[in-house]
Amino acid sequence: MIGIRIHGRGGQGAVTASRLLADASFRDGKFSQAIPMYGTERRGAPLVAYVRIDDVRVRERELVHEPDVVIVLDPLLSKEQSVASGLKKGGLLILNSKLPPEKVEIAGDIKIATVDATKIALETLKRPITNTAILGAFSKSVGYPTMESIEKSIRKQFPGRVGEMNIAAIHRSYEEVTPVVQATHTEPVVEESDIAVGGYGVLKDVSSWRVFTPIIDLDKCTGCRSCWLFCPETAIQWKDDRPEIEYHKCKGCGICVEECPVKCIAFERVVV
Amino acid sequence: MVGNKATATAVKLARVQVASAFPVTPQTTITEYLSDMVANGELDAEFVNVEGELSSHVVVQAASRVGARTFVCTSGPGQLYMHHPMHQTSDNRLPVVMATVHRGNKGMMPDHTDLMSQLWTGWMQFYVEHNQEALDTCLMSYKIAEDERVRLPIAFGYDGYVLSYTAEPVEIPDQKDVDDWLPPYKAMPSILPDEVLPENLGGRWDRSDPQKRWQEHHEAIVNAKDVIVEVNESYGKKFGRSYGNGLTEEYRTEGAEAVLVAMGSLTGTARAAIDRLRDDGLNVGLVKLRCFLPFPKEDFQEIGKKVGAIGMIDRNVCLGHGGAAYTQIRNAIYDLEERPSVLEFIAGMGGKEVRVDDIYKIGKKTLKAAKSGGVSTSTEWV
Ligand code: SF4
Ligand code: SF4
Repeated sequence: MIGIRIHGRGGQGAVTASRLLADASFRDGKFSQAIPMYGTERRGAPLVAYVRIDDVRVRERELVHEPDVVIVLDPLLSKEQSVASGLKKGGLLILNSKLPPEKVEIAGDIKIATVDATKIALETLKRPITNTAILGAFSKSVGYPTMESIEKSIRKQFPGRVGEMNIAAIHRSYEEVTPVVQATHTEPVVEESDIAVGGYGVLKDVSSWRVFTPIIDLDKCTGCRSCWLFCPETAIQWKDDRPEIEYHKCKGCGICVEECPVKCIAFERVVV
Repeated sequence: MVGNKATATAVKLARVQVASAFPVTPQTTITEYLSDMVANGELDAEFVNVEGELSSHVVVQAASRVGARTFVCTSGPGQLYMHHPMHQTSDNRLPVVMATVHRGNKGMMPDHTDLMSQLWTGWMQFYVEHNQEALDTCLMSYKIAEDERVRLPIAFGYDGYVLSYTAEPVEIPDQKDVDDWLPPYKAMPSILPDEVLPENLGGRWDRSDPQKRWQEHHEAIVNAKDVIVEVNESYGKKFGRSYGNGLTEEYRTEGAEAVLVAMGSLTGTARAAIDRLRDDGLNVGLVKLRCFLPFPKEDFQEIGKKVGAIGMIDRNVCLGHGGAAYTQIRNAIYDLEERPSVLEFIAGMGGKEVRVDDIYKIGKKTLKAAKSGGVSTSTEWV
């Protein structure tokens, strides 16, 4: 049996990724189980999902505490030592990262492969939803499930054009994932932090959730208050008849960008 | 497929005619799957949207009374809100089938408090282990509930999140086979005497002995055991899957000195723990308690004769009493001349994770009690 843990953020499709993996493995003749961990359903909040793949029916219901493989869908989470916690000795970490695995600072007696899944997702799906864009990397580095089965599972999950776009994404990640290498660091370089910044409440700093940052061009702003009204995080304050973003509250959902009638809010990719 | 999809699929296969439910996490997606199935013509049924669980229950109660095959589902607080009309459904002996997607009442995560709180409503109760069993139990429930010898509503429960949202392989029987095995519901004449109809559907009859309907109702549930065993067997013949004798299922009990008893999804984790105990040479077996109401007293008397200790893992607690199944098992074995020890473990309340390791330890403790004898009355919170 192998156990897999998937880290992502609400909206990146970690749960869908877990189900696609389980479904594709079942198509390959294995038994599987996909467990989502639901916390508060809030777009952007860090969350995890688990998968077990085995030759016999999986019976236990506990979470996967010592995974063989960890997948990280989010580029910022990919820099956290915490994502490797519990990973078995010699286990594999598949990261959504621009960095080659040798440059990754996550330490341990583990192996690492990286793929720039955000870039692939933006180019194939036009959105930073990285769940399918990492599955091809998984298939390549682990050796299963087969790409045929993943394709079938994707077509079932997303019929039509969306499915074909996702299939393009898995093929790119299959091609672009780096070889698996032993982690460079054995002792932690970055401190292990609590990555479970979940839950409600605007007091928490959620700036690390952003893939994109909204920036208001106040010269063009008409003061219509649409952004202020629609921001789900009350991150936009009203000062001197103009909007002002409190960035520690902004999770980068882009709703303000969509809502602004004069399109004066730019949305810039966070540099990682 | 996830547990909620397995349930919705069974509802479709059973060709339910009227379904009603109010969405409540973690049951919500059943209502979504069913609405989709009705909208796209896969399921020829009325799905009645309502403003709350009292209404959803009354809708299926009325529909069942006029002869429709019905389905209702809920979770946690919704189940508690539905409590009152449940009494009437069972009192009128209507074969309504309900799925309870367990959610505790001290938070969102699962334990069995929601369905256990309905013990006095006169419904039969099943607790299932995995998504396949949810599908199979839903189909079996119609066959049992609609049997002329039974005529009682059934609720089957499965742990929210743990099963409702976990995806795993489920085999879907052929519609043709299901149609063969489960013919359309033929409405039975009302169980109420003629003179109370139609003015007073739920009314009191036989004023000379108001207690009689309680006795009949109680006996009907107790006697349903035979039908449950029968239906489980015939399901097995038709579809190749059955669950023990329908009431309980034994796992690796051969030569066991002690057994653990589990309900619902904890059973799966317990199986893995038993395998480890057996690998380590410890003779501990497992009994899955599948049908809680009627309580399979005789099964536990048989088991009680063979082992030195029984460790019950309850995912519920009747506050001030203890685990509901623990109490029943102790009651059942009291009739034996030589009684095994019965140990009480409360686990998984409020969705607390139960690990294979936890159950391994429970197994060791129970085995120790079997060897040393003596009665333990303390409760262990795992
Ligand atoms: S992106 Fe805009 S709408 Fe979204 S949280 Fe930030 S400020 Fe609010
Ligand atoms: S929606 Fe655009 S124009 Fe309106 S207040 Fe916000 S930034 Fe200004």
